Amino acid sequence: MAQNGALAVVEALEREGVDVIFGYPGGAIMPLYDALYEHRVRHILVRHEAAASFAASGYARTTGRVGVCCATSGPGATNLVTGLLDAMMDSVPMVAITGQVRSELMGTDGFQEADVCAITQSVTKRNMLVTDAADIAATLAEAFALALAGRPGPVLVDIPSDVLKAKLDHDAVTPEKPPARHNKGPRVSDAAVHDAVARVRSARRPVAIIGGGVRADAVEAYRALVSMLGLPHAATINALGAAAPGDANYLGMLGMHGLKAANKAVQRADLILALGMRFDDRVTGKPDRFARDTVVVHADIDATEFGKIIAADVTLHGDLRPTLEALAAAFAGGHVPRFDDWATEARLLGGALPSDNVAAHVLSATDVLDRFFAAAPDDAIVTTDVGQHQMWAAQRARPSHPRNYATSAGLGAMGFGFPAAVGAAFGRPAVPVFAIVGDGGFQMCLPELATLRRYNVPVKILLIDNQNLGMVRQWQELFFSERYSATNLADNPDFAAIGEAYGITTFRLDSPDGADEVIEHFIAARGPALLHAACHPTENVWPMIPAGMTVDDLMEART
Amino acid sequence: MTCDLTLRDARSVARIVNLAHRFNCRCTRIEASSSAGTTTAFFAFDGPAVALARLRAQIERIVANERAEGAA
Repeated sequence: MAQNGALAVVEALEREGVDVIFGYPGGAIMPLYDALYEHRVRHILVRHEAAASFAASGYARTTGRVGVCCATSGPGATNLVTGLLDAMMDSVPMVAITGQVRSELMGTDGFQEADVCAITQSVTKRNMLVTDAADIAATLAEAFALALAGRPGPVLVDIPSDVLKAKLDHDAVTPEKPPARHNKGPRVSDAAVHDAVARVRSARRPVAIIGGGVRADAVEAYRALVSMLGLPHAATINALGAAAPGDANYLGMLGMHGLKAANKAVQRADLILALGMRFDDRVTGKPDRFARDTVVVHADIDATEFGKIIAADVTLHGDLRPTLEALAAAFAGGHVPRFDDWATEARLLGGALPSDNVAAHVLSATDVLDRFFAAAPDDAIVTTDVGQHQMWAAQRARPSHPRNYATSAGLGAMGFGFPAAVGAAFGRPAVPVFAIVGDGGFQMCLPELATLRRYNVPVKILLIDNQNLGMVRQWQELFFSERYSATNLADNPDFAAIGEAYGITTFRLDSPDGADEVIEHFIAARGPALLHAACHPTENVWPMIPAGMTVDDLMEART
Repeated sequence: MTCDLTLRDARSVARIVNLAHRFNCRCTRIEASSSAGTTTAFFAFDGPAVALARLRAQIERIVANERAEGAA
């Protein structure tokens, strides 16, 4: 039984089955670190609190369990904010525990004091300030339940240092409510299901779009439904891996840098079955011209998504897996339509991915990624950072499951990819983990090489170095009259030397000659490894639908 | 647009006022009272229809999260 508040935190983590937390110590949270010293919850020391939040996100995204991070008061807590918002945007279950200054100092502008609950109110599902050690166990139980309930997301628990240190009077401990682990939201209504099924049966060119909601254990149900109907289908970036490997009716990612077939098919569809997705502007482009004259059937656990961007003709409010199962059962109970001819037609709307014509002797980022994905193990977990490499990877990756792919999709937070891979490696240690990063984002989290080294985490980092903030540079080229303001990184450091300085096995690639062999050695390397690929500096991501435009404006090359 | 809400967390009143500001809506009336862990609040907002719709959706999300928390 816990003797003080900090031990109550650790015991609460143990009760929740938490095996690892990512964090960074500091003054106000020292009592918790003291309690961690001799307990079974493993603490991973990162080198910046932002990395702790991204690692917790990577852990959660690839395991489906709640990711946990901790930090001290003030700057420690504020450094978590980006990761919390990232988790909020992508519906990632996370609990952040922050130390707070002593209760008597709160409101005095004390050293490392910040009103963390106010700061994080808009980037969490909920935050709680614990004022009595007797409430710690119940508060954390509530935090974990809420992180997973309905649409998952981050919850922050802020605990003043005196509360962490306070002796516990066990007779006064606030009792926990029984955990409500199965609180997954409402069950979809039969009437809505039958309406949706009737609409699909009468459609001629339906397309399914699967979103991040598929991570709610809905992969098999999704694959079964699209297979049952022979339905052409596309994925948002958060749902890569939803399609069954080898599914010929899968059209790929849709949206701004999505595949042509996916975007064209959605444009031609007479019915869109939108499943656990939220019509992000990177998907819709210009909402008033997206899916015009199209029947929209929208399934989501979050009712506030209905009509937020795109009006729905039928709404299916509920957890995605039972919704998909209910749809399949309703189809099976009557006529099961097949859309094979339309699926074939939809596939033919695409074609090979366009790319810039990089000279044969120059290393092309897309060529490196093509070779990497051809050689990487089928069961690998891939995380990416944000920018051009993120889009090139999303166009090419065929992960075997959505939990084998993690990227900062909604927020687009640079610096995410590498620490997220660290979190994934701790969550699923038996699976090979690769982080694909760019030279900009990698420099936002370089110190995490020390984390790799300390724990000998076998994360492999594929660094696509084009000596530019490539995506911004691409937009400057296309939309800002080639005024390359603050995007040139030609003075990048020697990344391989940095990797070696941290004791990481490094590989260099600056020519297509022998590239396959280098990539194979990189993939097969034992322990952590870094492959520095020095790529052509001005290769662009194609296709592209410019922001606020439509698929009619799709670009496949610079015009 | 008016909203009559029962909230678990009095801080949600401030959150809703902040959201109204963010969406370029005007909060023309607020009445709130708290007791025994429950806050009842009445709001009146002015603003463009699209912004008010977005504000209502966000308020519904806050209420839904509070409900989920209650269930948890």
